[in-house]
Amino acid sequence: MKGYLSIVLVFFVVLIAFPPGWYPGALKVQLSGFFGSNEYRDLPPSVPGAKVDSQVICPPDLLNWRASQEIEGVNITASLPCVADNPYTVAAFVKGTNNVSHKTLMKSGLTSDAVEKGEDLDGDGDPDVIHIRLELVELNGASGDSDLPVTQYEIAPGIKPGLWVFAPKFAGMARQNFESKMARASLRAPSPVIRIEVGDHVKITLENTHYMPHTLHLHGSDHGFVDADGEGNDGVPLTSEKPVLPGNARTYELNPRQPGTMFYHCHVQPHVHVTMGLQGMFIVEENRPNNWLQTMNVGAGLVRAPSVAVREDYSQEYDLHYTDLDQQLSERIQDSNDPRLVTRSMHREYDVTDATADYFLLNGKSFPYTFRESIVVVEKDENVKLRVLNGGTKGIALHTHGHKFTVTDLDGVALADNAQVMRDVQWLATAQRADLALSTKNDGLHAYGAGIWLFHDHQSRGITTDGIGPGGNISAIVYKQYLSEAGWPKTRGVSFEPFFTPQYYQKQIPVWQSYAPDLFSDVGYDWWLFARLIILSLSTGVFFALLVSKVKSRD
Amino acid sequence: MIKSVTLLIFALLLSGGAAISIAATTAVGMGDPKLELKHEMKDEMQHEMQHEMQHEVQHEMSHGMSMDSNGIVMNSNNAELPWGCESISQDYAFEVRAGRNYALVPGMVFGMSQHAYNVAPCSRVTVTFSNEDEVRHQWMVHGLPNYLYPTGMFHLEAMAGKSVRGTFIVPGDDKTYLVHCDMAQHMEKGMKGQLKVGRGSGDLWSIPTVSDTYRRADYLPEFTLWMMALLSSVIFLVVLYIARKK
Repeated sequence: MKGYLSIVLVFFVVLIAFPPGWYPGALKVQLSGFFGSNEYRDLPPSVPGAKVDSQVICPPDLLNWRASQEIEGVNITASLPCVADNPYTVAAFVKGTNNVSHKTLMKSGLTSDAVEKGEDLDGDGDPDVIHIRLELVELNGASGDSDLPVTQYEIAPGIKPGLWVFAPKFAGMARQNFESKMARASLRAPSPVIRIEVGDHVKITLENTHYMPHTLHLHGSDHGFVDADGEGNDGVPLTSEKPVLPGNARTYELNPRQPGTMFYHCHVQPHVHVTMGLQGMFIVEENRPNNWLQTMNVGAGLVRAPSVAVREDYSQEYDLHYTDLDQQLSERIQDSNDPRLVTRSMHREYDVTDATADYFLLNGKSFPYTFRESIVVVEKDENVKLRVLNGGTKGIALHTHGHKFTVTDLDGVALADNAQVMRDVQWLATAQRADLALSTKNDGLHAYGAGIWLFHDHQSRGITTDGIGPGGNISAIVYKQYLSEAGWPKTRGVSFEPFFTPQYYQKQIPVWQSYAPDLFSDVGYDWWLFARLIILSLSTGVFFALLVSKVKSRD
Repeated sequence: MIKSVTLLIFALLLSGGAAISIAATTAVGMGDPKLELKHEMKDEMQHEMQHEMQHEVQHEMSHGMSMDSNGIVMNSNNAELPWGCESISQDYAFEVRAGRNYALVPGMVFGMSQHAYNVAPCSRVTVTFSNEDEVRHQWMVHGLPNYLYPTGMFHLEAMAGKSVRGTFIVPGDDKTYLVHCDMAQHMEKGMKGQLKVGRGSGDLWSIPTVSDTYRRADYLPEFTLWMMALLSSVIFLVVLYIARKK
């Protein structure tokens, strides 16, 4: 009898310890009918906000790269955002790395054969024989010596996904210096924009510096299936030639007859390699006299030495390359340093049919880094050319705030005047290109006046970084009066400091912490309830132990 | 008796579950994660201060740089003695060939004909670096005294199919220097070596044929964990059975 009494007592403790908040709804209603409401108890307090340790938002332009300047007779326009392309690299691409002084070549960081420019075949004052060399670079890849990635490249604060890119041929180290794991500034995503002219005799040598086989496929550009020597020239391992193995090189040739905004990418296991970043914009410009082209645009964005044809109709030109990235794919190059394991993981274990994209990039970066270098800076009454490529795995719904642009070309083909449409959302399927004319004429149709106007993919995922917003491919059209001397938009809204903090994208900072910390900060724990649950667990355990021992002693 | 056996079984089961993670932790423990962290923080700072820009300047300021169609020789020095060296103790000449053909052990894609170099203190080292691939390669030494070798580096870079030669004089103390190709992933995929001056200061990690990979993959069949669980359960039952019989 005594044994039963203790069981009943313990059961009573279990009942008392059980939190009334967890009672079934009907019972709760019944009980409050008898006893009224529970007495007031404070909700857990707000946790004071995490200290935001922001990166430098707008790095200083130590070498005066942003200013307009003339180098080797090449006029390089000003690039007003915080971070600008190296103007010496731009000059070397325009003149040809074989035609610039040793000093300019050194300052450009390129090798002398990176872009060789030769004969003027049509006698119109610009070179038509062009030889471009591309290397392959793995960013944020694995090391056998460290658990951290090497040749690091951040797409957003603290986010370093594995990436593969085509790269211009830069001399020297891949890292900033021996002590650093960061990639030098010139090695970055996206693969560079390539620009040639109609009628040019172009050779592109793919020097495979990577540890996997690759090719170059010139999507949409006029090129032969085989070259002059009968060698495969389409870059498709299934049909035209064997891939270029590590340490080997192959030269592709083209002599395009049509202008337009095209695309280039690797065609080896393309469902993996294109997604990893082996893709870039390929632009064939109209043939004009004295048309010295900026053969490559590192990091895309503003074209600092635009073509003659573009200058005829537009005040500025921007290359906008959109991509997305699946973290579950890109991390596979970081898991192991053994190329055989990486190959198996990427090409057999990864299943692209189950994939979802996590990162959304504009010109190789996500917000807020896009605000450092990929904003479109305008004045009123300008006509700006935007060349857009969607290299991502899903479509994008490109939307401009404050402006309606005109679609002038699709997939590199000019639209007839009566087929050109004005809109503020343009759908671009995977691999599609659109040339847009952005007018800043303040007439309520083309534009609504000066300001800081966002442009972005209007699908929800595209404006996040792994689900955290604001992130993804958000950028802005910024009128000059809204741009600081240093190149940062004079925004009038919330602080950008949390966005320049890795913790923000690691989901550790409440999204409204900077301006409504008391209302929406993190919440503390209910330790009173926690203590009650400890008693509940202990008493439940004791209860069942007593019950079992009682049943056993009966046997 | 049973107690100790159970303890043993428990230990076995535990080790079964945790074998791989323990192996990984040990590997990390052997290195210096704090050091890595420090590097990481430094990287961040450097990024913010746009050291990448200064990198380009450093390039320009390196007086000892020659660049032609064969490649680059940076900080070559065949006469200036490091502090503490009275004279050149000895001359060495290494003929190093590089490329995919020299990826001689499993897991390498690129390689060099020689990965370990031993020289006497205060000696003069001449390296002829021949690249047999159709892409660029480098042979670089890091950690040399900054007062003689700007940024502490001696750098040979050979274009596809080309050969470059350079000379440097090593300091007098025993130290092991990193030799590698600093193109993205080339060191990681095989182009890593070490230069031991005198007795050196130990072997570096991941030198092909010399030292093991610091972060070595497990290379186990997928069923390994199941096998361990099964084995320990079987042995548990067997021991229990024997103990009961006794």
